[in-house]
Amino acid sequence: MRKNTLSTKIITRVLLIILIIGAVVFSIYYYFTRATLEEMTRQNAASLANNTVHKIEMVIRPSEKIPENLAWMLEAGAVPHDSVFPFLKQLLKNNPSISGCVIAYEPYSIDPERKYYAPFAYYDKQGNIDTNYLGGEDLNYFIRDWYQIPVMLEKNYWTEPYFAEGGGDMFLTSYSVPFYKRKNGKRQVAGVITIDISLNWLTDIVNSVEILETRYAFLLSGNGVYVTHPDRSNIMNETIFTHAKELDEPKMREVGRDMISGKSKLRSVKLKDIGSVLVYHTPIPSTKWSLGVVYPRDEIFANLHQLTWLMIALSLLGLVVLTVVTIRIIKGLTRPLSQFAQSARVIAEGNFNIALPDTGKTEEIKELRTSFEFMQRELDNYIVHLKETTSAKEKIESELRIAKEIQMGMIPQIFPPFPNLNQIDLFAMLEPAKEVGGDLYDFFMIDDTHLCFAIGDVSGKGVPASLFMAVTRTLLRSLAPKQNSPKKIVDSLNNSLAQGNESSMFVTFFLGILNVETGELKYTNAGHNPPLMMHEGDGTAYFEITKDIPVGLIENFEYTELERTIHKNDRIFFYTDGITEAENSKEELYSDEKLLHLLTSIESLSPAEIIQDVEKDVKIHVGDNEQSDDLTMMCVIYYGKSEDKGNA
Amino acid sequence: MMKNLILTLMALFALCFAEAQTTTIRFAPQWFPQAQFAGYYAALDQGFYQEADLEVKIIHPTDDESSMNMLISGKADVVSSFLMDGLTSRLSQEIPLVNIAQLSQHSTLMFVTKASSGIDTLKALDNKKVAIWSSGFDKLPRALLEEEGIDVEFVPIYNSINLFLEGGVDAMTVMYYNEYDQIINSGVNEDELNKFFFLDYEGFDIPEDGLYCLQQTLDKDKDALRKFVKASLKGWEYVDKNREYALDLVVEKMNKARLANSRAHQRWMLDKVVGQLAPMDKNVKQGHLLEADFQRALNIIQSEARSGAEMKTLPFDSFYEPLVD
Repeated sequence: MRKNTLSTKIITRVLLIILIIGAVVFSIYYYFTRATLEEMTRQNAASLANNTVHKIEMVIRPSEKIPENLAWMLEAGAVPHDSVFPFLKQLLKNNPSISGCVIAYEPYSIDPERKYYAPFAYYDKQGNIDTNYLGGEDLNYFIRDWYQIPVMLEKNYWTEPYFAEGGGDMFLTSYSVPFYKRKNGKRQVAGVITIDISLNWLTDIVNSVEILETRYAFLLSGNGVYVTHPDRSNIMNETIFTHAKELDEPKMREVGRDMISGKSKLRSVKLKDIGSVLVYHTPIPSTKWSLGVVYPRDEIFANLHQLTWLMIALSLLGLVVLTVVTIRIIKGLTRPLSQFAQSARVIAEGNFNIALPDTGKTEEIKELRTSFEFMQRELDNYIVHLKETTSAKEKIESELRIAKEIQMGMIPQIFPPFPNLNQIDLFAMLEPAKEVGGDLYDFFMIDDTHLCFAIGDVSGKGVPASLFMAVTRTLLRSLAPKQNSPKKIVDSLNNSLAQGNESSMFVTFFLGILNVETGELKYTNAGHNPPLMMHEGDGTAYFEITKDIPVGLIENFEYTELERTIHKNDRIFFYTDGITEAENSKEELYSDEKLLHLLTSIESLSPAEIIQDVEKDVKIHVGDNEQSDDLTMMCVIYYGKSEDKGNA
Repeated sequence: MMKNLILTLMALFALCFAEAQTTTIRFAPQWFPQAQFAGYYAALDQGFYQEADLEVKIIHPTDDESSMNMLISGKADVVSSFLMDGLTSRLSQEIPLVNIAQLSQHSTLMFVTKASSGIDTLKALDNKKVAIWSSGFDKLPRALLEEEGIDVEFVPIYNSINLFLEGGVDAMTVMYYNEYDQIINSGVNEDELNKFFFLDYEGFDIPEDGLYCLQQTLDKDKDALRKFVKASLKGWEYVDKNREYALDLVVEKMNKARLANSRAHQRWMLDKVVGQLAPMDKNVKQGHLLEADFQRALNIIQSEARSGAEMKTLPFDSFYEPLVD
């Protein structure tokens, strides 16, 4: 599966989410099931242990009553010494759980000559009840636990279990009850009544707990000795503490200490030989022994673990199936997409009419197909339209190119314009911002001595401005020869242009007539930027600003005519606002000041050089910024009268 | 000439016969089978005695008959006994026994009290109940407390720790290698006990197990006894290096004798008993009895008996005739 395909992405993301959800759900399930199982085990262990304890107590408790009652009878003097043996024999007969009974007296308390006095009834090896007296140098019963402890502590006492003397498998424990007499008004221990109880039945009861394969129970004496244990070699040989020591299990010792101190507890212990186990223990209240039930954890959780593995395996299988099915579904769904992608590529190559794939039945794919069809149609229409527009635009552009040529043909472009005229030289340039522009300049000789020159800037740009410019220039050429006064020429021009000027276009206009013999200059400035007068070696300055309005606005406006005399080597520099208002990228204008400053520094150059320098300087100022207005300049130098030429 | 030849041949024959003859030695340890006697079991099991042309029979005492009685009655040739008991028997019962080897070099006697009782010095035992074996071994505890000027009520017990565990006595006399571990093995932690080792009290580090025989046996079978002692010491060396083997042997013996046994407890006992064999800071060779120890033991017995019979002197040489190299 390729990386980054839709199916890979969906599969990886969906799989991840399914895995996470699955893991969470599964963990919760596992946790709760485990907890429930553990709780069930706890209850089971508790009831099992309590039942077993109850069974044991059913035997022990009634037996306890026998010496207790007997003690009371002895204290009351109800058993005469001469009938003790028959009494004890009868007692054994009546109580099958008792395998022996002794009434042991304190030294010399019955007979001053007799240190030991302890009538004893017991079953002999043949199973008959026999009697004799216990005690003697070989059996000093006063220092035996069964006698010494109840006497010294004046309390009833269950001995640690022991094997019957004289061998055999007789496994016994004894219960001793002290009895008292009154001597000199004081209550005094008179002796001890002890019954022996066989414990062989205990093993059967406790071993019946071994129901499951590895579950077992064991019984500890007060000292922690194993009274019963599945491993018979431990019984009576080992205590839980020696066992713990041999296995090097300090935790087991802790369990043992809790057990012999009479606690009921369920705990988890990890043992080296049988692994992790749950141990529940509870005391046997009468004997202060303790019963422990051991559940190997493996066994408790075996079914859960089996189920867990099964579920994990099934889930993994399910995931594999899910993956395969999902990949197939996604591939089926996305097949139209790749077909559409192929179509889009063909369409992009310009083949708009290609047939679209007819696959996919889902709403989304149908919608996509409709959109594709729509796109195809729109593209087709657009291209048709674009072709038309493009050819129209190309036509206009070519017409504009022709118009520009015509326009540029209308203004004199041959320099020097008057090679035979020594008194003056002149240079001019016009660079329209668009194909055709609204600026104009013109110059021509009205007669042998009078040079007429003009510069103008039509409002607006483009074709309208260029047409207006053409009209202005044509009118100027036709009006100028008839009038030799700039004012009259401008007046006439204004009236002609103002008539029927519905588009309210106008032109700023400067018109001057120079008498090349005298240097006398008459001029009218109709709202145009004031030209600069450059006196070589004597400074450069702007012409005065007039109040006359641009031409073409108001009919019959009276323009003023001004007059000044030009001296030898003076230069007059004309320009349109395309120069001073040329803008750079910071929106800074080239400005009147900058122009004045530049011209002051180049006042001795020829008109062509001046114009080239100004153009260069403006272009440097503008930089990468687009030229926004027509650039038009004209410069006239006056060399003085014809005979003065040599001095220039 | 002929007579001489016959006599010579007879003498030679007798010599050869004597050389080939195996001597039987009946050895009685002072208690039931346990790790305390592992060295002798190993010597027998490993054939060390057989190699020395000895036929050794190990006979344990019973409830009815002590090993010392077996020695007196002639049922045993050699017995194992505490120095104090050997000496007492020699002095008070005038049994003509001699010490032929002193294996233990140190005392393992101690008093224990429950830490919860607050009895953490010997002085604090004053007017308290102290359990002590009725079967002997009581001279040293009595002497120690007397020397420290402590008056206690001794409570004789048989051989169980239950009276102490039940709280019937405040303190108990125990052997470090035996009853002390039994208490631990009944669920009492070491830090729950206060311990008073006799060997920490000047003059009370009295050695314990030694080998004894009657003077007449010594006179008669000195060579055989020497071999017995040597093979026994070899047995002890062997168990020192083969502890688990020794424990197997001990447990087997105990099972045969139908005695409750725990390997863990027997291991503890074996460790302590083997440890006792080393003289450590005592200026004595292994297996020998230090005269100073003998003298101290004698003094203790005599001072105890001073109110009674007249003081008996006992030369060291007449009590101790070592058969150890």
